[in-house]
Amino acid sequence: MKDQIENVLAMVFGGIFVTLSVVVAVETLSRKLFNVSLQGADELGGYALAVGSTIAFSLALMGRNHIRVDVFHEKFPRALQAFMNWFSVVSLAVFGCFVAWISTKVIMDTMQYGSTAQTPWATPLIWPQSVWYAGLVVFALVAVGFALRATWLLANRRLEALNHDFHPKSAKEELKEELDDLAQRQSAEGVKP
Amino acid sequence: MNIGIYSLAFFIMIGMMMVGVPIAVSMAVVGIVGGVAAYGLPFMDSIAPVVWGVHNENLLTSIPLFVLLGELLLRSGIADRMYIALSAWLGRLPGGLLHTNIGSCALFAATSGSSVATAATVGTVALPSLQKRGYPMRASLGTLAAGGTLGILIPPSVNMIVYGSLTNTSIGKLFIAGIIPGLLLTTCFMLYIAGSSLLSGNVIREPKLPLAVKLKTLVHLVPPLVVFGIVMGSLYFGIATTTESAALGVIAALAFVLQSGKMNLELLRTCFISTARVSGMILLIITAAFILNLTISLTGVAEAMTKWVAGLGLSATGFVLALIVFYLILGMFMDVLSMQVATIPITYPIAMALGVDPIWFGIFIVLMCELGLITPPVGMNLFVVHGIRPDRGGIEDAIWGALPYAVIMILFTLLILAVPQIVVWLPAHM
Repeated sequence: MKDQIENVLAMVFGGIFVTLSVVVAVETLSRKLFNVSLQGADELGGYALAVGSTIAFSLALMGRNHIRVDVFHEKFPRALQAFMNWFSVVSLAVFGCFVAWISTKVIMDTMQYGSTAQTPWATPLIWPQSVWYAGLVVFALVAVGFALRATWLLANRRLEALNHDFHPKSAKEELKEELDDLAQRQSAEGVKP
Repeated sequence: MNIGIYSLAFFIMIGMMMVGVPIAVSMAVVGIVGGVAAYGLPFMDSIAPVVWGVHNENLLTSIPLFVLLGELLLRSGIADRMYIALSAWLGRLPGGLLHTNIGSCALFAATSGSSVATAATVGTVALPSLQKRGYPMRASLGTLAAGGTLGILIPPSVNMIVYGSLTNTSIGKLFIAGIIPGLLLTTCFMLYIAGSSLLSGNVIREPKLPLAVKLKTLVHLVPPLVVFGIVMGSLYFGIATTTESAALGVIAALAFVLQSGKMNLELLRTCFISTARVSGMILLIITAAFILNLTISLTGVAEAMTKWVAGLGLSATGFVLALIVFYLILGMFMDVLSMQVATIPITYPIAMALGVDPIWFGIFIVLMCELGLITPPVGMNLFVVHGIRPDRGGIEDAIWGALPYAVIMILFTLLILAVPQIVVWLPAHM
């Protein structure tokens, strides 16, 4: 289930940036070669980032990619590790909710003034902003979901499970992911790993 | 407010990071608490437009695009084959395959911003054959760890985009400025390898290969060089902005993946998920950094710090020298991207007030980050190369192996301090 959500989000994310690359490349070439500008590729880039980044926040959360320094963490006693892992997840959830909450103001202002972008397209800002806002809410919800699970594990004194699921990602783990991928590439090429 | 409170806030932030609070949260908390303490709850209202502003910034769109570009070349195996070509060309130098390590890392760096991916890929291919041919393990690990750091100095570099966006410095100029120092530092590393190999009296060289074989390997260098050429060429000649050059690079990379016959849905999925995770991590930190930056600029922390430093009677050179020590120590304990983001809002305005060139300072910061990647106890690249060594041995081999390169980096930093033209000459001719 989690894998499927990740895959869908990743495809949407990738789709956004590949499409953007095509549009921007066409725009750049047509501007330089034929002196014809489509205009608005810049603007589109901004919206792509607004939507893409919120998806990326959630995916980074699911992959435990939001960086934490682990140099002292590894030396902590198990119970303190568990507490810090719990605290980290909860703090990310609070931060996610905070960003979503303050961003409500951006949406309110845009709706109240009917703001449009200061560009040739004069895009009504509510379009990109509502998708962006939805992305922030999703990030907040995913983070809250993780925080609830961590809290439940902590309340039930399941410290091992808590540490297993929410510990900071170490260099070793990142390396393992890279090496697994490399082994796969090499076996696909028919090279001995 | 005074310097004492600012310093306290800074050390609380660093302290939170050290005990394992997520970096983004640590920065945002200090920013928000500081802002509310100074301006009360109305401060909250000014955060939202900043968040939208960061997420809607076309310049930052280049981050996911450059990460995607590197992922495409890496996951499709295009980058892997560069090692074969370089070992054929560099193996004859005294020090043999050690040069290939540095060279491959440098070239890899030109296409990918990830030092873990660089060290892992080059290291996995290189270490077993290095061991088989009797290269000393320490030297081998050192070259890989140090070579991997070149990734953030040789453009495209995510660390430079982060610096540029936090300080409003032209990212195109930063990229161009990274080329000469990147090549020069690579050369310094190779000179050290050749020199120490000659001095040791036990000169290792690879057997000579027929020219025809060598020429044939060149085909593996075409894709990375073409992609690098498109990105940097379009920037240098003013054809494209940073984000546009990144988009052109992604299209070129996609074309090479298609041509290699490796294109499939699974490959794309792997690239996309990995790009999203890395970009999400970076962008959340940047979001937090801009919240912190808002507080810093509203409360005048930077001005107060600048005045304080000026009161110490430090010259620009003295300040930079003090920063080398500061970053050397901080880099021992912190992840380098976090270190960069947490310190730039303070160190940059002071440097500007003392008359340091913004492009030069960007390259300086990146060099300090490189140093942080190979200084123990938290040198990311040390862990990575240690993790892939084929024999069992301690992490101290990686640490000792990388030490000469850390010294070279510090000396190199002093060189660009003495001769700043190394950095600023090329971007001035754009």
